Amino acid sequence: MTAKCLLKLYILKQKADFQKAIETLKSILETELKGLYLLEVINVSENPQQAEEDRILATPTLVKVSPPPVRKIIGDFSDKEKVLAGLGLTTEKKEKVSPG
Amino acid sequence: MAGKLSKVASGIPGFDEISQGGIPKGRTTLISGISGSGKTAFSAQFLYKGITDCGENGVFVTFEEAPADIIRNTKSFGWNIDKLVKENKWAFVDVSSDDSGSVEVGRYDLGAFLARIAYAVEKVKAKRVVIDSVAVLFTSYQDQGVIRRELHKLAANLKKSNVTGIITTERQFEDRQISRYGVEEFVSDNVILLHSSLSSQGERERTIEVLKFRGSSHDSEEVPMLVTVEGVVVYPRLKPKPGGKIFLQKISTGIKGLDKLLCGGVYKNSSTLITGASGSGKTITALHFIVEGAKRGEKSLFVEFEESPDQLYRNAASFGWDLEKYVKKGLVKLICHYPAGLKAEQYLKLIQDTVLAHKAKRIALDSISDIKRIYNERKFHTFVTGLSTLLKMTDATSVLTNTTPQLLEMKEISETHLSTAADNIIILKYVELEGRMHRVISVLKQRGSKHEKDLMEFEVTSSAGITVLGPFKGIENLMNGTARRILQMELGNGRKEAERDFIAEAAAGKI
Repeated sequence: MTAKCLLKLYILKQKADFQKAIETLKSILETELKGLYLLEVINVSENPQQAEEDRILATPTLVKVSPPPVRKIIGDFSDKEKVLAGLGLTTEKKEKVSPG
Repeated sequence: MAGKLSKVASGIPGFDEISQGGIPKGRTTLISGISGSGKTAFSAQFLYKGITDCGENGVFVTFEEAPADIIRNTKSFGWNIDKLVKENKWAFVDVSSDDSGSVEVGRYDLGAFLARIAYAVEKVKAKRVVIDSVAVLFTSYQDQGVIRRELHKLAANLKKSNVTGIITTERQFEDRQISRYGVEEFVSDNVILLHSSLSSQGERERTIEVLKFRGSSHDSEEVPMLVTVEGVVVYPRLKPKPGGKIFLQKISTGIKGLDKLLCGGVYKNSSTLITGASGSGKTITALHFIVEGAKRGEKSLFVEFEESPDQLYRNAASFGWDLEKYVKKGLVKLICHYPAGLKAEQYLKLIQDTVLAHKAKRIALDSISDIKRIYNERKFHTFVTGLSTLLKMTDATSVLTNTTPQLLEMKEISETHLSTAADNIIILKYVELEGRMHRVISVLKQRGSKHEKDLMEFEVTSSAGITVLGPFKGIENLMNGTARRILQMELGNGRKEAERDFIAEAAAGKI
């Protein structure tokens, strides 16, 4: 992997559990993508316009901006495998071969 | 403790009447209906008219149609939403196709959604917010509990900022379930239902109903709603005022002989049905009635379905009446409109508005059969009921013509519910007697008054219009059209002369 993975995290800071979601996410990223990602944290109540531009409705939402394709994960990241799969970074490579 | 729930003008003509004041102010109202029932048009108009008529800015949160589509689609109503957006009076929150294809991992809320709405409300200092339609949320997110909680929060936020909200949602079928996901109605104390169905003629028919407005009165009737070229219009049913005035005064029909048959004319504020086959003299009878009013300086309305104003002027002129002059003077108002161009509700509203604005004392409608031919039975019934209510609401005296297919069809008269709605029924008819066609006029009924029962012969001349000549005495079976003389009797001089003329003309080879 050459280019860094660019990530945006939309959260609502009023929520008591926002910090926990950030920590959960960071621990996943630190183990799986250490040094290979850039994470920008955006508070939607302060930057609603940016949420508008990226068409975000739910919080927390993690957006993988690059490399393409753009992907969105909604929730508190409590399932590591699902997060990785959602980002398209899952380690197990099960290539689907369509018959014919 | 709590005062009367205050409301804001909805911007939908007729709706504020059935809702007794409009949309509950500072509350969130749910509008539910199946696809195509007019939810988007209704709520967009609420926002648009809020800005243009009430100076209340608005936010439109759209889940389904892109803002560009909404702007384009509402141009046909003559609206310019684009301009309002530029003037910072209307803001879109475009959430169409947001969050599609995203993965859900663990717990979440719709914090960004609410933050974006709050931001837009702040930006344009909105007093009205529309969310169209939240049904999409239920397909985008798996956790329905979250959606319900967030919608509650949204309604609470709007209430706190005294913003009036409309949330639309989808019903799957026209059944008892208010909303498809069964939770939307718990978000709001106020629910409006839009109904939509296809008529037997394949026409879309929409109705609207206020299901509940908590802490406030409203009509509970389902009434017609149309999406017209000028936007959404609701047509409240006319409510008859109980204990209406009863007039004992009689007024002239403009035909002397007919007044005599009616023992002095028709009662003021009565309605008269003139029924007869095509060409039997119905339009001219109606014209007599209107011209008589104009001669007395009374305002009147002539509703004509088949003829243009010019045709009507020419028609009247052939009897020596300058109808055009009366129209120009403002004594006579004409509505010449082929029914097919307007829906039954629109036509009734047009007549209603004209009658009330013009303060017409005499109304002629020629003919009610055209209405029956154009609209389906249910709409025709609505029209007739609405019309008779309207006529009773005013102190106007009316004449309605009804075309029977041929001869006299009593069945036809009673079937149309017209016979009970009409106070008086006058029959016009052709009969054949000894090789000659004769015109017959007779009063079948006059409510609250005696009347002559004779069948009278009449003629139509260019100098006087209708002249009632005299009774057919000694003749039976006139009404069946196969009259037979039962006694040789002297007829009036007029008849004799006419017969002499006829013989003379026949001799001269003219006939």
